Amino acid sequence: MIFTAPLVYSLLMVVVASILLLFEGKWKFVCTFFFVYLSAGFFFGQVKNLDIGTSGTIILASLFLMYRIMPACAVLYYVITTTKVNEFLACMSRMHISNKVTIPLIVMIRFFPTVFDESRAIGNAMRMRGIRLFSLRTLKNPVSFLEYRLVPLLVSITKIGDELSIAAVTRGLSTDTKRTCVAKIGFRWADAVVWAYCIAVVLFYVIPGLTGNLPSL
Amino acid sequence: MAVTRKTGKKSSNTLVRDLVNVGIFGALYLVLSGLGASIGFIPMFIVVSTCAVSLVTSVPLFLFFSKVERPLLCCELLCMLFGVVMVFSGHGISYGLLCVLYGVLAGLCLKLFHKNFVGCLLANVMISFVPSSMMIPLWSSTEEYLAYCSSVCDSAYIAHLAELSSSYWPLIGLFGFGAAGAVVGGFIARRVMKKHFERIGLAK
Repeated sequence: MIFTAPLVYSLLMVVVASILLLFEGKWKFVCTFFFVYLSAGFFFGQVKNLDIGTSGTIILASLFLMYRIMPACAVLYYVITTTKVNEFLACMSRMHISNKVTIPLIVMIRFFPTVFDESRAIGNAMRMRGIRLFSLRTLKNPVSFLEYRLVPLLVSITKIGDELSIAAVTRGLSTDTKRTCVAKIGFRWADAVVWAYCIAVVLFYVIPGLTGNLPSL
Repeated sequence: MAVTRKTGKKSSNTLVRDLVNVGIFGALYLVLSGLGASIGFIPMFIVVSTCAVSLVTSVPLFLFFSKVERPLLCCELLCMLFGVVMVFSGHGISYGLLCVLYGVLAGLCLKLFHKNFVGCLLANVMISFVPSSMMIPLWSSTEEYLAYCSSVCDSAYIAHLAELSSSYWPLIGLFGFGAAGAVVGGFIARRVMKKHFERIGLAK
């Protein structure tokens, strides 16, 4: 599995994500990312050696998620913030990937921040009404807490989904017709450089891995 | 009712609406299943964590089943997207293929039973097998899985996992609890749908 790869390969891939984000001017994000990433890695090493039971497992798992999945999240953040939806759809259709796969994928990627925003707003509204996770009311009837949080979220998400569908159809999104795009889509020298670097890192992992000489870090 | 043209085919507008619903409910399913599965970090709740996931995701899934016009395609796409995300986050390709299989089975249940309560319940049970299958590597390739977990978890948790892998009953328990959670969640979802969503016209 990819998480068994030593840390050095994760760091090499983080370099790619960071350079791409710096080119887009997202230096604040890169600084925050490095701070959180290196802190999570440091504390992961420290907490792993302590034997503090279940709470240690929860903390370890959270730190693991932070410092192993964050490089992938950084690349995903780069893709989401710099790629327009119409360009993404044009790329996917140029690669002969069906719109039946592309449309749910792009909606899913774009919808994650919306789910969190709506959930936060509903949480604030419920908190104003005294419905908290560890309040007496919730402890007496835990299923009602689920209803108070989940039902408004589903109602608002369903309404957003219906509006999104109407907007998409109005803008001509369809699975039957081939889309055109104003922006020029293509593979250029910068893409070739990044691709060659990533392939080199993968080979740098696979070849020593086959001979059993993986670095220890 | 599905919008049909003279050719008998459904409108492509409803297809776009179905695909947008797959994306939206896919994102919601990912978030809620992650929240439900987090209970599995407590060693005594590992086997029961699939029940928590099924309970939490039943209501959104029932709403999803009621909204889509093409149940086979939409369930397949929902499970396929979940499988793709899990494959990219480190689970094997075989897990992705299993997700597609569960999606197809769920879609077939909905289609055969015309999306009535029994069909939705069976489809919910099929989709509950998706998170249950994540721990199959603990039994199929025990040493590799424990080596991977030892980089994440403390020794007591690893010992508990090793104890679970010594017999196949916990694996059956994982799937059983997941299915039980899906059935109970289905009844809760039917009540919630009647109480909230059907009344305001969001579900049929």
